[in-house]
Amino acid sequence: MKNGLACVLLALTAAAASAQDVYPSRPISMIVPFPPGGVADITGRPTAAALEKVLKQPVTINNRPGAGGKVGNAAVANAKPDGYTIMMALSSVSVLPEADKLFDLKPAYTLDQLAPVALISADPVILVVHPSVPAKTLPELVALARQKQGQLSFSTSGVYGALHLPMEMFLHALNLKMRAVHSTGGGPAITMVLGGHVDMTVGGPAAITAQVNAGKLRPVVGWGARRHEAFPNVPTFKELGYDIEYYIWAGMFAPKATPEPVMRVLRDATRKAVEDPDFRTSMARVNSPVQYLDAPEFAKYWAADAKRLAEVVRVIGRVEEQK
Amino acid sequence: MDGVFGNLMLGFSVAMQPSVLAYAFAGCVIGTLVGMLPGLGPLAGISLLLPATFGLDPIVAIVLLAGVYYGAMYGGSTTSILMRIPGEAASVMTCIDGYAMTQRGRAGPALAIAAIGSFVAGTFSVVALMLLAPTLATFALRFGPPEYTALLTMGLLVLSYMSGGSMLKTLAMAAVGLLLGMVGIDAMSGYTRFSYGMTELADGVGIVPVAVGLFGLSEILMTAGQASPPPVQQPTLRQLIPSAEEMRLSIGPITRGSVVGFLIGIIPGAAHIISSFVSYGMERRISNHPERFGNGAIEGVAGPESANNAAATGAFVPMLALGVPTGPITAVMLAAIMVHGIAPGPMLITEQPQLFWGFVASMYVGNVVLLVLNLPLVGIFVNLLRIPYSYLYPAILCFCVLGVYSVGNSVVDVWIMLAMGGVGYVLRKFHFDLAPVALGLVLSPLLELSVRQSLAMSGGSYGIFLDRPIAITMFGAAFVLILLALKPLIFKGKDWRHDVGLDEPAAE
Repeated sequence: MKNGLACVLLALTAAAASAQDVYPSRPISMIVPFPPGGVADITGRPTAAALEKVLKQPVTINNRPGAGGKVGNAAVANAKPDGYTIMMALSSVSVLPEADKLFDLKPAYTLDQLAPVALISADPVILVVHPSVPAKTLPELVALARQKQGQLSFSTSGVYGALHLPMEMFLHALNLKMRAVHSTGGGPAITMVLGGHVDMTVGGPAAITAQVNAGKLRPVVGWGARRHEAFPNVPTFKELGYDIEYYIWAGMFAPKATPEPVMRVLRDATRKAVEDPDFRTSMARVNSPVQYLDAPEFAKYWAADAKRLAEVVRVIGRVEEQK
Repeated sequence: MDGVFGNLMLGFSVAMQPSVLAYAFAGCVIGTLVGMLPGLGPLAGISLLLPATFGLDPIVAIVLLAGVYYGAMYGGSTTSILMRIPGEAASVMTCIDGYAMTQRGRAGPALAIAAIGSFVAGTFSVVALMLLAPTLATFALRFGPPEYTALLTMGLLVLSYMSGGSMLKTLAMAAVGLLLGMVGIDAMSGYTRFSYGMTELADGVGIVPVAVGLFGLSEILMTAGQASPPPVQQPTLRQLIPSAEEMRLSIGPITRGSVVGFLIGIIPGAAHIISSFVSYGMERRISNHPERFGNGAIEGVAGPESANNAAATGAFVPMLALGVPTGPITAVMLAAIMVHGIAPGPMLITEQPQLFWGFVASMYVGNVVLLVLNLPLVGIFVNLLRIPYSYLYPAILCFCVLGVYSVGNSVVDVWIMLAMGGVGYVLRKFHFDLAPVALGLVLSPLLELSVRQSLAMSGGSYGIFLDRPIAITMFGAAFVLILLALKPLIFKGKDWRHDVGLDEPAAE
C-alpha cells in the first residue's frame, strides 16, 4: 500500500516538473518489448544503468511483452516524442509490420514511426544439428537434405521469429525444402533438437555454447561475416560462397518526432554509456559483443537489414499447412 | 552414493553460510508477500527481483530467486483459501475446497495443511531431484510434441470424467475455456485469430485475469448480492490446528500429490498448473466420499498444494541438468545465472559443483524456512477474515486490479478480469462449475500447439501418434476412459457417478 502511495506521489511530482527544463529533467522510461531475462532485457538493463550515470536521471526499465514484441514496439511508436520514452528493441522490430501486411492486417506500427538512436549489440546466429544427423559440414547437410527430399526438420522460436528467418534465408538461397516446426521461444526450439524430435535449429552463441561443449549439439555453419570468437572452427555461409548474413541485434529507438536537441543528448549519452567499464563487464558476462553504431550509421544498417528481412518474409509468404 | 553425500555436504557448507541463509529467508518472505497479491505469482515475483540480483554473488542470487519462487507458490494458496482469489494460476484448484473450508470456519487447518503439504512435497522432490536429476532429464527430453499431445488429451478426458455436477454443464464450461484459449496468434501460421484488431489479444487471453475474475470477483459479487452480509469470522487460536481426522485424511493426498507433481514437473510446459488439476481430479476419483469435494474436503487442498510445490521443484530438473528452460519461470532463473557469466548446460553439475549442490542444499533450507515462517503466520493471515466485509472487499478489489495490471502492464488484462467477474457471477447463479473454464484455457493453446507441431514433424501424417511408445500408451489409456464413460449410456445403467452422488448439482 505504501508503495502504491509512493508511486502516486512520484507521478505527481513528475507531472509537476515543467516542460521547458533542460532535457532530461525527470526519469526516463526505457521500454523493453520482451519479458525480463531475454536478450533485449539483458542488454537494456546495463545500458539503462550506464545511461543513468551520464544523464544524471533515473532510467527505468519497463517490460512491455506481448505478440513477439509488437505490443512494446507499438507503445513506443505511438508514445509522446519528448525523449522520456525510449526503447531497447531487437531486430524483429523490422519484421513485425511486414508479417502484418501478409495477412492484410493494419500494422500495429510502421517503421517510419521510429527513430534509431544507436545500435548496441549484434550477434550472428549458428546452425546446430542433433549429433545423430550424419552430416558434419554444410555441403554434406545440403546433400542430405536433397537426398531426404524435404524430410529433414528444424525447430524455430516462432513463425517469422528471430530464429525462423535465418533458416528460411538458407533454404531459399540453396533452394532446399525442410519441415518447419514452430515453437514458442528459443529455449523450446533447442529442447526439441536435444530430444531428437527435429533435426536442427538456429541459436545465438550464448544459448548453444554449453550444449555444444557437452557434445549434445553439433554446430555446422554460422551466419556472421566472420567466424564467431567462441566457435573458431565453425565456417560461415560467406566463406562457403553464399551471400547470406544474419544477426540478432539490439538497438535503441525513440519515437520519430523526438526533437533534434533531445536526440543529440540521447546519442551523446549513449556514446559515453557504451564506454562505461561496468557496462562492458555486464555485456561480456552474457557473451554479447558490444557493436556500437551511432544514429546515422545505425540508420543505414537498419535500413539494409529491414529490407533484407522484409524480402525473407515475403519469400516465406503466408504459411499454409504443409501436406 | 558416497559421492552424492560428499557433494551434499559441500552444498550445505555453502547454504548454511549466514549470508546465504539470510537471502534464503528474505526470498521466502518477499515471495510469500508477492504471492498473496491477487494475480502476482512466482513469475512476477522473480521478474521483479531479477534486476536486483545482478550485483549479487551467483549462488546468493539463485538462492534468493528460488526462495521467492517457493514463497510465492505458498503465498498464492493463502488468498485462495481465505478469499477464493487465486494468488497465481496454480492455486485455482485450492480455491474450491480451500475457500469452502474457510466458509465452514476451518481456514486455519486449511492453511496449515497447505503449508505442511508444500513442505513435505518440497522436501520429497529435492531428494528426488538430487538423486535422479541426470537420469530424469534424459527421460523428460523424450517428451516431444506427440507425447505431449497424448498427455494433454488423456489429462483432459480424466478431468472431465472426474468432475462433479451435470456432465453436460461441465463439458460446456470446458468448451468455453478451450474456445477462449483459441484467441491470439496461431503459432504455426502467424495469423492472428479472434483478436478484433487488439494487439494486446495477440498473445491470447491470459489465465491470470480470467482466474482472478472468475473466482475472485465473482465471489465478491455473490457476497454483495446477499440480503444480509455473511457474519465476520472470528477464528480462535485453537481452531487453527488441524484435527487428527484432518491430518489422517491428508496423508494420502500429500504423498500422491508429491509424486505426481514431481513427475509432471519435469515435463517441459506449464507443469505446475496442470499438476494441481491432475492431483485434484485424482483425489476426487479415489476418494470414498467424492461428494465432499467442493464442499470443503481437506484432500482437495492437500493434494493440489503438494502437487504444485513438487512440480515447482521438478521443473528445475531439466533446467539444472540440461540448461534448458522449460517455462517462463525457469527461463528467468537461467537468465539470472547467465548474467553472472555461468553457462548453464549439461556440464553445469561438474563444472560448477558448489553452485549446483549449494542450490540443492538451499532448497532444503528454503523449505524449512518456509514452514517455520508460515505456520506461526497462519494465525495472522486468518485475522484478515476479522476485517468487516465492507472494508475488506473494496480493498481486495483494489488489489485485484493492481495485481492483474502489473502482470503484463496491460489495461486490457484488467478489462478481461472485470468482464470475467461478471460472467463468473452469472454462471455461478446458474450452478455452473467454473474450474473447467480455467482448465480449458490453460490446456487449449498447449494442446493445439503440440498437435500441430507433431503434424509438422511428420509432414501431415497422423501415424506419428501411433509409432511412439509413450504416446500410444497414453492414448490407449484415454481410449479406455472413453469406453468407461460410454458404458452407462449404452447399457442404460447407473454408473459410479450416481452411487457417489456426483450427478447432484454442485452446491454453491
